[in-house]
Amino acid sequence: MSTELHTLSGAYALDALSPEEASAFRKHLEACPACCQEVRELRSAAARMGAGEAVAPPPYLRTRVVEAANRTPQLPPRVTPIRAARASRWSPKLVAAAAAAVLVVGTAIGVGVTMGEPEEVPLATGVVEVFTASDARSVEVETTHGPLKVATSRSEGEMAVDTSSLVPLDEEHVYQVWTLVEGEPLPVVVLERPDTGAHMGMPAPGTQVAITVEPAGGSERPTTEPIAQLDPSTV
Amino acid sequence: MAGEPGLRLVPSQDGVDVDALVARVALGDSAAFERLYDELSPSVFGVARRVVRDPARAEDVTQEVFLEVWRKASRFDRDLGKGKTWVMTIAHRRAVDAVRRNEAAKRTDQHAAPDEVSHDEPADSVIAAEEHGDVRDCLDTLTELQLESVRLAYFNGYTYNEVATLLEKPLPTIKTRMRDGLIRLRDCLEGAR
Repeated sequence: MSTELHTLSGAYALDALSPEEASAFRKHLEACPACCQEVRELRSAAARMGAGEAVAPPPYLRTRVVEAANRTPQLPPRVTPIRAARASRWSPKLVAAAAAAVLVVGTAIGVGVTMGEPEEVPLATGVVEVFTASDARSVEVETTHGPLKVATSRSEGEMAVDTSSLVPLDEEHVYQVWTLVEGEPLPVVVLERPDTGAHMGMPAPGTQVAITVEPAGGSERPTTEPIAQLDPSTV
Repeated sequence: MAGEPGLRLVPSQDGVDVDALVARVALGDSAAFERLYDELSPSVFGVARRVVRDPARAEDVTQEVFLEVWRKASRFDRDLGKGKTWVMTIAHRRAVDAVRRNEAAKRTDQHAAPDEVSHDEPADSVIAAEEHGDVRDCLDTLTELQLESVRLAYFNGYTYNEVATLLEKPLPTIKTRMRDGLIRLRDCLEGAR
């Protein structure tokens, strides 16, 4: 890989890259185990520099944080199929809708099957598989939130979206993927981490796939106009 | 284990196994979460306060960090690093995000007194002193430009682009100074153990 990118490891470990540069660097990391190791070590050094500034927070903060945690659901472990992973956190109605979407698109959705650093979740392996399939067809779509890559593979029977270049959203918002079957939007997946992307069974011809920005946690129906919408069979 | 909140008998450096605590937090263990908070909140709050400057916002960042730790504990992989590094990485990123979200306000604030933090903090300052000593000694081994580049990025939340502008140096220079500075810090801290 280019030394140009490699020398960004220090700036990356200091969180001193723009979102675009950080995203490019994360891609570089996927292909460079030695760089991952270096980043880990530099982060550890930076963390100790930060820890050297330790100051006790006010005591009331402890109560606040613990109470907030008690109200907050935890993420399931990695490598979890979407059906199991999400079901417990969705309302029953939404689960039903999601199940319908799964039926419509044929197979389950995989997210969160990841490689690399713990908090540096790069593209899910299932997503990479679609993009790198021997018969992969891909297209890059410009959206109001940055470039979105979509790939389909007939041999895999899947489509994938690489959302890692979309602009990061604030804590209050998430990207959500939908299928539009005869104009009816069905929730497919909420992208807690856009840098993982998502993959799904190839929808039936004529089914549109759309991405919207939704309030954190996702919505039952789209609440905003799609930033992208396309028929995957035309990719 | 420390049943009584607020009573800390064990200094940070020895004893408490943060990795093991994170593993228990991943299983939904609230008591482990409270222990983890007691163990790491001074470090998290300290870095948040340095980066965002405003104590109230530093409290919000600290809360965000621990909620992320709570939510994502199951994703922590101890083969890929220490739990404390993981938490501090989240803390720094969140603090920097908070600063960048509020860039304009922060930049105008710059000339206000940087360290006006009101509440007292003796216990943890003492606990952190040893670590602080090692870090300070090791930071002394950096060249001036390495140190400035690293500190402006880490503690002020500037991007390396901004650091280059501030220091009136070419981008590639700053990029390599940040890396070389951190490498030097890493090597020195390893030797100090």
